[in-house]
Amino acid sequence: MSDLGERVAVLRDEILDVVEGGREDAPAEAIFEAIVRTLSAGMETALGLDLTLHDAVARRLAWGDTEEAILADADLVFTRLARAAQRALRDPDEEMLVLEAAADVVCSTARILGLAAVSRAGRDRAATLREEMAQRRLKEALSEQDRNLKRLETDVAQSDFQ
Amino acid sequence: MSFAIVGFGDSHVGSVRDTNEDALIVDAKWGLYAVFDGMGGASAGDVASNKARDVVHEYVRARRSAMQPRPLLEAAINAASAAVHAEAQRRRDRRGMGTTAVVCLVDGRRATIGHVGDSRAYLLRDGRLHRLTNDHTIVAELVARGAINADEADRHAYKNVLSRNLGAKATAIVDVNEIELIAGDRLLLCSDGLYGYASNEAMHQLVGSTDGAGDVVRDLIDAALRGGGGDNVTAILLDAGGKSMPRATVVLRTSGAGAWWARRDRLLIAARHHGIHRSPLCAVLRPDEAIGLVAGNFADAVYHDLEKATSVNVWSFAENLAVGWLGQNGAWMAMRELLDGLARAADQVIGELRSEDRGLAALVESAIARALVTAETAVGGVLAERLKLAEAELVRLESDRSRRQRSEAAASPQRFLDQPTVPFMRAVAPPPEVPAPDVQLLLEAARRRALARPAAATTDRTLYTRAIDHAHQVASASSDGGDAALAARELFDVRALDEAGLAPLYDALDAARLAHVDAVRAVPGAPGGRVAALRRLAAAYQRLSGTIASLIVESVAPTAEQLREAAAQTTRLGERVSKNERRIADLERKFATIIDDELPGGLRYELGIERPGARPRIEPPAGPPRRRPSKETMR
Repeated sequence: MSDLGERVAVLRDEILDVVEGGREDAPAEAIFEAIVRTLSAGMETALGLDLTLHDAVARRLAWGDTEEAILADADLVFTRLARAAQRALRDPDEEMLVLEAAADVVCSTARILGLAAVSRAGRDRAATLREEMAQRRLKEALSEQDRNLKRLETDVAQSDFQ
Repeated sequence: MSFAIVGFGDSHVGSVRDTNEDALIVDAKWGLYAVFDGMGGASAGDVASNKARDVVHEYVRARRSAMQPRPLLEAAINAASAAVHAEAQRRRDRRGMGTTAVVCLVDGRRATIGHVGDSRAYLLRDGRLHRLTNDHTIVAELVARGAINADEADRHAYKNVLSRNLGAKATAIVDVNEIELIAGDRLLLCSDGLYGYASNEAMHQLVGSTDGAGDVVRDLIDAALRGGGGDNVTAILLDAGGKSMPRATVVLRTSGAGAWWARRDRLLIAARHHGIHRSPLCAVLRPDEAIGLVAGNFADAVYHDLEKATSVNVWSFAENLAVGWLGQNGAWMAMRELLDGLARAADQVIGELRSEDRGLAALVESAIARALVTAETAVGGVLAERLKLAEAELVRLESDRSRRQRSEAAASPQRFLDQPTVPFMRAVAPPPEVPAPDVQLLLEAARRRALARPAAATTDRTLYTRAIDHAHQVASASSDGGDAALAARELFDVRALDEAGLAPLYDALDAARLAHVDAVRAVPGAPGGRVAALRRLAAAYQRLSGTIASLIVESVAPTAEQLREAAAQTTRLGERVSKNERRIADLERKFATIIDDELPGGLRYELGIERPGARPRIEPPAGPPRRRPSKETMR
């Protein structure tokens, strides 16, 4: 880990507010870790290609977090990190690097979320089509059952009469 | 190759109650496993749980091949609810009876779990125990809504009151989970009598052990009984992929435990030799008492853990020791030395065992090493808890101090007040402010420089230019929210909601951001001013990207709603089909009864009465030809 990455990493508890919240696995942790990773790699990661961040976001979506909640987390991490960096880092170049890395990660997160929402919508549309097909089949079954019911009711009425 | 599932379930009345109101299903043939926990006075609880069990079992058996697992499970649990409800309405002394249900239907690798109430399902995967179900209790719902926190929930008067159950109404809202099992997974279904009386650590240790499902279930029930056993205990454990038990565990549970127990007295002597009784923890005890209490309990805990292949007892032993000692502000070092002394005494005993059976000694040695690591972890856990309390106290003191300072500052506004710097920062957005003139100049220069740069060939030049302009506008504005939202909407424009439609927008935003940041670095100016400009620009791009993502989410929201509506419509149609099925079955039964009641056996065939529906006509047994009966005969 680079020197700057290490110094930003020590701000973790403050930025994720884990001390007060008492949670070890803070929801915004993946976003903060991605920023530290970017800094540790000396800003040489390919833009938007942090697969760990992709995985983390996908995992949170799979566990039922909404896109809005994750965006809010990204927003929170960015805001807090910008303030913490302003206070903690004396060298303007270092602060600029941190701001650049933070913007890179939160913009990537927003992009991942936007595309995930679009994919989800595609899946939802396909599932809606499947539901409609199932409804057609069920309606056919219902009309068949109605015919059978009518016939049975007639048969039972006639048998009662006999 | 087929995916084997091995399941075992058991139930115990507990230590306090007279009747067992739990019921369970373990049916490997149909892949059906379920736990029901009945409730209701005058022994109605067991009626409810048994009724629900029978209905679910029968329902699944009858329709297993015709329905998909998810709708089948929902329908079966609803049928059980209707049956319990009907029974409760029929008899006054059974009013209000009901039952919880957690039902698992396994089809190949896919497990579908439906539940109502506070019986739970857990999944052990990769050594971690995950809870798959949320309790349907009033308190759990209050916690989910944020009305109370987890600590308050534990003490809440209504912590055992269910918000959903089978039998309160004719229909039940069922939560259904589906998971894909992988080899080595373990699924645990249990009633609240298990998790309410056995600790989470104990359950984790036992389910995570390498023992077979039968042994684990018996140990789980045993753990709940040792925890008080105040309720009926039921547990079902499913092993996915046919987990096999390593031989070493079997040897340790039998010969290892026996060998250790046989040397208990040797351990006490060795403990005395290593001065356990002189530890500060034993200061108020006589030497014999100290050895018996510390070394004796350690020996017993290790024996029980060896026998059950867990670390629960050693964990409890170390935790009790640590809570007692650290609770009276005892030094951690003394605790550490005591554990070291016990380790040396255990080493001596293992050394003696080694001279008799080298292989067994190696196994016991590794088990003892594991037990000691567990003990260290337990002590670490107690220390962490105390540290957390101390930190919470620090946070409280710091908050009080800040509050006091703020109120003092408000009372005397002229007084100079230091900004608090460390360590607990609040997520309060900085007040909106217009950039200083030098920063504004830097932002202008950076915009011009960024616009002058050629964009990459793959980037849409128009979008790129607009992105730079909008980001500049947001960064220069005094208020943030409204400007960012307007700018994002203009950038988003009219756009296809798919990857091909969105990728150019995001590419242009990324290219604009990189160019803009480079431009800020390149423009001449004081470092402080450049940092301030970059701070505003980075925030502007962050808001633009976030707002665009929110717009996308907002735009696709109706598709989820449409799917929910379509699924609800399908469910309603499915229910109508099921209702018609039941009606047809009733009519068929009625018709058959009429035929049977009216005509003597066998004659209906000869009379040539048409049977309804598609049932094949059954020919009468061969025999002498019969005469058509006279009216008298028929009467």
